[in-house]
This record gives sequence, structure tokens and C-alpha cells, in this order.
Amino acid sequence: MELNRTKKPQPKGKISFTLPEVEKFSLDNGLEVLFVHKERLPIVQMSLIIDAGSRFDPNEKKGLSNLVAALLDEGAGGLNSLELSNAIESLGSVMSVSTDPDAMFISLLTLSENFSQSLDLYAKVITKPHLKEEDLQREKRKQINRIIQAKDDAGYIASVVFERLVYSQHSPYGLPEMGMIETIERITENDVRLFYETLITPQNSTMIVVGSIDKETLRHKLNIALLGWHTHLKPIISVHTQPREKTKIYFVNKEDAAQSEIRIGHITEGRNAPDFFAKSIMNSILGGQFSSRINLNLREDKGYTYGAHSGFNYNKVNGYFYVSAPVKNENTADSIVEIIKELKGILVYISEKELKFAKSAQVRKFPALFETYGQIGRSLANMIIYCLPDDYFNTFLDNIKKVTLEEAYGAARDNIFPDELVILVVGDRESLSPQLEKLNLGKITELDRDGNVIGII
Amino acid sequence: MNDLLKINYEKYTLDNGLEVILYPDKSLPILSANIWYRVGSANETKGKTGFAHLFEHMMFQGSKHVPKQMHFKYIQEAGGNLNGTTSSDRTNYYQSLPSNYLEMVLWLESDRMGFLIPALGQDKLDNQIDVVKNERRQRYDNAPYGLAWEIIFSRLYPENHPYHWPTIGYMQDISNITLSDVKEFFHTYYVPNNASLVIGGDINVPKTKELIERYFGPISRGLDVKEVYVPKTELTENISLVHEDNVQLPRIYFVWHSTKAYTEEDAALDILSYILSSSKNSRLYKSLIFEAEIAQDISAFQHSAKYGGSFVVVATARPGISLDQIKEEIFRELKLVIENGIRQEELDKAKNNIKASFIFSMQNLNSLVNHLNEYNFYFENPDSFNFDLERYQKIDTAALRSAAEKFLRKPCLELRIIPKSITQG
Repeated sequence: MELNRTKKPQPKGKISFTLPEVEKFSLDNGLEVLFVHKERLPIVQMSLIIDAGSRFDPNEKKGLSNLVAALLDEGAGGLNSLELSNAIESLGSVMSVSTDPDAMFISLLTLSENFSQSLDLYAKVITKPHLKEEDLQREKRKQINRIIQAKDDAGYIASVVFERLVYSQHSPYGLPEMGMIETIERITENDVRLFYETLITPQNSTMIVVGSIDKETLRHKLNIALLGWHTHLKPIISVHTQPREKTKIYFVNKEDAAQSEIRIGHITEGRNAPDFFAKSIMNSILGGQFSSRINLNLREDKGYTYGAHSGFNYNKVNGYFYVSAPVKNENTADSIVEIIKELKGILVYISEKELKFAKSAQVRKFPALFETYGQIGRSLANMIIYCLPDDYFNTFLDNIKKVTLEEAYGAARDNIFPDELVILVVGDRESLSPQLEKLNLGKITELDRDGNVIGII
Repeated sequence: MNDLLKINYEKYTLDNGLEVILYPDKSLPILSANIWYRVGSANETKGKTGFAHLFEHMMFQGSKHVPKQMHFKYIQEAGGNLNGTTSSDRTNYYQSLPSNYLEMVLWLESDRMGFLIPALGQDKLDNQIDVVKNERRQRYDNAPYGLAWEIIFSRLYPENHPYHWPTIGYMQDISNITLSDVKEFFHTYYVPNNASLVIGGDINVPKTKELIERYFGPISRGLDVKEVYVPKTELTENISLVHEDNVQLPRIYFVWHSTKAYTEEDAALDILSYILSSSKNSRLYKSLIFEAEIAQDISAFQHSAKYGGSFVVVATARPGISLDQIKEEIFRELKLVIENGIRQEELDKAKNNIKASFIFSMQNLNSLVNHLNEYNFYFENPDSFNFDLERYQKIDTAALRSAAEKFLRKPCLELRIIPKSITQG
């Protein structure tokens, strides 16, 4: 048969995919464990998800959780920083501690043959960190320098200042997770201990294990390794939600910048809002993937940028909608105009074809979410952090498939507010201020690199 | 261990010269298709830099039977992901998607190999020139320390060396690229006899072979590709450069000519870089960051490619610390390695980590399949994981010390990137 290249070949048959089976059990100290048995390689991947993100930092000590994370593996269970690092490294294992606004993650990747020895060190970090004054002082100095360095990066400045604008500095989500120089300076050994004792506890954590190990062996070893790790009373955090306001434009000067960084968006509801699936479909049409409207317009049609995208950034309580684009200086105002046009556009027009495309992409990429040991772990971690139902992944495909055109419109109407935007530009004043003034979006407020108001342009 | 890294594959060549490697793995219902064209920025010439990379962009702009923007859409609609990358030596394109879309991927990949030019117009080229110039601004011109590598390579290698210019290309050269340049480039390098295709994942081997023959078989063979001319290079004396940037902390780079990818000494230098900067206990990290606290970050690595390699040490100074102090400390540590060698336990630790990282890297199909193409590119044998690991296991403390002595005693290039408007010091 002659090959006809003019027709796109259709998929052959259906694929069958079975979700990894998740087993749940509790340890003697109350810690919940989610376990996925996976034999393909002799690897075990563990992650402790602790409800101890930067939203628990007092605002005047922002950066505390990040610093606690940095300190946990700086000595534990009688081993100093160098001894501990040496012991892990000798096993070929990888341990890391990190934070985000909602959670702290203590992770371990190890070959199965070194599981027991690695677990022993991992458990020391969780249950017996030294948290010593001299280590704290050293980590504080490092953290302050990291903040200084980050301020060279226009993309970092834009993201941090934008979050401060949409959340406000009164929200526990408003200030950078890394902290600011003056807030890091205020942190004491006592703050670190209190954070550790009240938040890093079994009742406040969930352990996720994916790997080539037998469940009973795992349970037994975890029970021994985490013996003596107890729970204390946990502080309660209230989250202030700043209302949206009429569109306002902000500017941060970065002299001689070769590009402008644009962030546009506003506060929205949290991850658990009932229209989550419709929102996610709507966003993938608007700016959630390469072939979405915003990127095709700004990149493939106009050539203003190397890439532009939109998304919903969620936390446990609320979240925000954003469009992000680094653009050519001379097209900064043009880009803002085009982005606002796209935001208005999605409110009035979505085609059946676009809907079908977005749904198909999400449904079909589902199996790839469960490829590596780490990916399975991360998918489960999201369930924990956002308190998603146990059958979340089992019902995911149906939930995506049943989104209607009406619901996609509804998701746009209820979550995109083109007249209530925070517009932020980070770039070179000389080439930008005439352009931005012509936009007629009202007064332009100038901010410093931390987001403090300097004046009105 | 050795069994774990043994790959069950089949390799053959089509009549038109296209190399094909099939790697069945049924653990998930996905497949990964990965094609390498043996062309990179090393094939460019002075005044026409950035060509190979711009061309990579053009490959996503549709072809005779695939309308503009539809290449991305078709893959994404199928739930796949896709991208391409360009290095000095090769350009690769990869996508992974549900395994029932095998035929569509072969259709897309073969259409842009066989039928790109009929669909290529000035408007598409102008648009992608803009996009690439923005990419250059974003990743180099507007990035802190972003110009370091092009400054280094332009002085480390002479003007007629294929590694003299950056893969992204110079702004002026990118602007000047013409449609006829692009077409000529395509006919020279994007021919089946200059490419290798790997399909891995949930595939039926005989069926896949049949489809590959059907879609790629009719594409005509091109002329043989000329070898790149590579002049011998050596630094006869130290070079010191200073560049001012919009940064707050000064950074210093030391670069030595070393050796090509996959040689024995390449492995020795990889291990050396591990011992110098991979962890808190590594020599440079421990002395400059942990103990003296004079550097904010430090890294050492062996950067090796097809036609040459370099060994690099980079450190950023803490506020108030002079780069001279950092330099003195780095050279003190390097001298210790050169003169006294390293301890057996340091070597064992490095080897254990390299071994573990080989196994960890087998988790992801896209990266595994890309590795098969890379091994095929260098050794004409895709199943070289064990060979590659063995390179490292063979190194002993004497081999490591002699590699350090051979390369790091020679003249080096030093680049200081300092904050604007602060005088050198």
C-alpha cells in the first residue's frame, strides 16, 4: 500500500494502565506511611512530608523554615555536619531537606542494598538533629548571601515581588520563603528549636515510600528507626486573604536589563475549590502549555518572548492566577496589551476543539505521572499537602473527561478578572517608563527589589 | 549490577543510512522516540554562528504534511512531551507519549526529515530569529554571570576552532541568517545517513521495524558529511580576563584544556571533580565554604565533548572577600592533589556514588533512550552502560594523580566577573 503522508496516523488500540497500588499503615508513634511497592530497579525513595512550610514563619522572622531545613542535616544523632554528610555519601545515597510555603520535605534516595544503613542516618536527621548555635550562625551567613545573589536575577525579583503584591505582606504567603536579610538576622537558636519541636512531629507528618522493599520489613525498620520521636502541640496559623483591587501597575528598576520580566495576575481560591478540574482545563487553553493561546500569540506569532505561560499557583488556603513572560524591552507594553487581550478573550470564547484538545492532553499524559520512583512520590505528596481524597487518582480521569464547555467558561468567569490585575514589570527604567505610561493603566508605583514602595512614576 | 545495566536492544541500518536502535521495555504503556543528528555548533563557521540551534527551532515549525504549530499540538494532544537540544556536537529531538501513538511519532519525525523545506518560508524564519534572540537575552545577556562561557571559550579556543563560539550564537549572526543558508544547512546535515533514531519503551519490535521502514525508508540518502576541521590547541601562557556584570558578588573561573569525552583520563578528571567539589567533605567545598567561609559556592567539573575538553573550577566570593584570596586557596588545594594524590577512601566514595547514580538514572525512559543514542554516537554501541561505568571503576589513585598532574600544571585561563563600577582587586 502506498504511504499517504497527508493524513495523521491514528492511535492503534487502547493502552491499559494500572495505577500503582498504595498501601497505608501507621507506625507505633502515630506516623502515617503511604507505601508503593515497585520492583523495577533496586532503589528505595522515601520522603517525609511535614506540614511545616514557610507559612509558619513569623513574618518578622521570614526564612525560618528554610533555615531549619538547612540545619537539620548539619549534624544529628552524635554525628557532626561533616561526619553525617560523609556517612551518607559513602553509601551512595542522596539525602535532601527542602521547604516550600506549605510543607517541609526530608527525602532519601538509596540503593536497596544500603537501605538499612541509610535509614539509620535519615532517622537521625528527623529525630535527633543537633540544631547547634555555631551551625545556625554559619547557615544564616550562607542564607543572607544567597538572598543577595538572588537579587541579581530579574526573574526571581519579579516572582517574589509579585507574590508580595497579590498576597500582601500581612499574609503568611506574602514574603519570600528564603526570607529577607533583616528577617534572617533576627532568627535565634530558640526560634529554630521551637519550630522543630512543635512542627516536626509524627502527627504533623506523612511518610511516603516507593521502592523495592517488602512492606513488613519496611514497617519493622521504620518502627525501630523512628522510635522516641514524639508529638507536641502545634501552633495555629491564620491566613489573611487580601481582596482583589482595580488593576494597578508596578515597576521595579533593573538598570541595563536586557529584557523585561512581566508578571500579571491576582489572588484566587485555593486548591480544593470545586471547579479545580475546569480551571485546569481552561488554563491549559489559555497559557498552561506550549500550544496555548498566550504562548502562540507572544512567541510564535509576535516573537516578543522565548516563552510565556499562565497558571494557578495554589497553597493550602488560597492561591493566585498569574501570567509570566520575559520579553524584549521595546515590546514590553505591547506584551502587556496582548496578555490582557487574551485574559478578556477567554471569558468570551472557548471552542469545542480547544476543549477537546486540552482534555485529551491531560487524560493521555496521566500514566507518565507515575514513571519514576520520585514522580510517584511527588504525586502522593500532593494528595497529602492539599488533603485530596484517597480516590483522587482513581477518579482523576473521569473528573477531567466530564468538564463541559459551560464549566470551562464558568471557570474563566469565576477565576480570571481582567479589570482587577496586579501588573508588575522588572526592567530598565529608561527604555520602559515611556511605554508603560502610554498604557493608561493609571499611576505606576515604583518598588524596590524587596517590593517596598519607593514612589510614583 | 552488571545485569541491571545491560540493555536488551536491537540495532540496524536502513538502506538510506539511517541508524535505528530499538529498546523494548514494557513497564509502562509509554514510548520514547529520540533522534540525534550529528551536527552542532561545531559545524558552523565564523560569522554564521547560532545556526545549528536556530535550525533546531525551525524543526518544530511544521513540514510539508504537518501545518505550522501542529507538530507541538499533535504530540501534546496525545498526552506527550517533546523538545530538542543543541550542543556543540549534535542536535537531538525527543518525545515521549502513550505507546499507541507510535505511528504518529514516526510520521512527524520522518516528515521533518524528508519534507521540511517545502514548508519553510521567510515569515517562519523571521519569527524564530526573534524567538531565539529572546532566548539569548533570557538565558545569557540578562542572566547573572550569563556571558561567562562565551567569553571563556572565545579565548580558550582559537578563531578557527569549532568550539570558539557559543552554541546559541552571537546576536548579530542570528539576525543575519537567511532562508537560503537554512536550506543549505538542511540539505547538508539533516540527511538520514547523518542521524540515528532510538525508539524505546512499550513497543512490538517487528511491527516497529516495519513502520520505520515505511516512513523513513523512502527518504533519500544525502552526501557524506565532511569531518570538522579541528586545529590543535594549547595555552602557551596563562590568560587573565576581567568582565563587569550586573552582579553583586564577584566570581572567578579557572579553565584548563583537558581531554575529550569518554577517554580514560576523562573519567579520572570526572572523579577528581567529584573529590574537589561534590559534597561538604569534598576538598574545595570543605576548605573554602565550610571552614574558611570565603566562598559562597564552588564547583569543579570536567566538561568534555567530541573534539576537546576542559577542566573548570568556579567559585563565587562572599561579600568583602577578594578573588585573590579565593584563588590562593584553590591553588593550594590543587597543589595538594597534584603532589600527594588522594586517599583510597575518597576514591571509593566517589566510585560508589557514580555507581549509584548510574542506577538512579535508569528510572526515566527519555533519559535512558537518550543515553543509548549518546553511546551509539561515541562508540557505535548503544549498550555501553557497563563499559562506561567500568571506565570509572578502573581508575586508581595513581591514575587520578597523574591526570591531575598532566592537565592542571599547564597554563590556564582565568576569568573574573566583577560587579559593575567596582575596580578590580
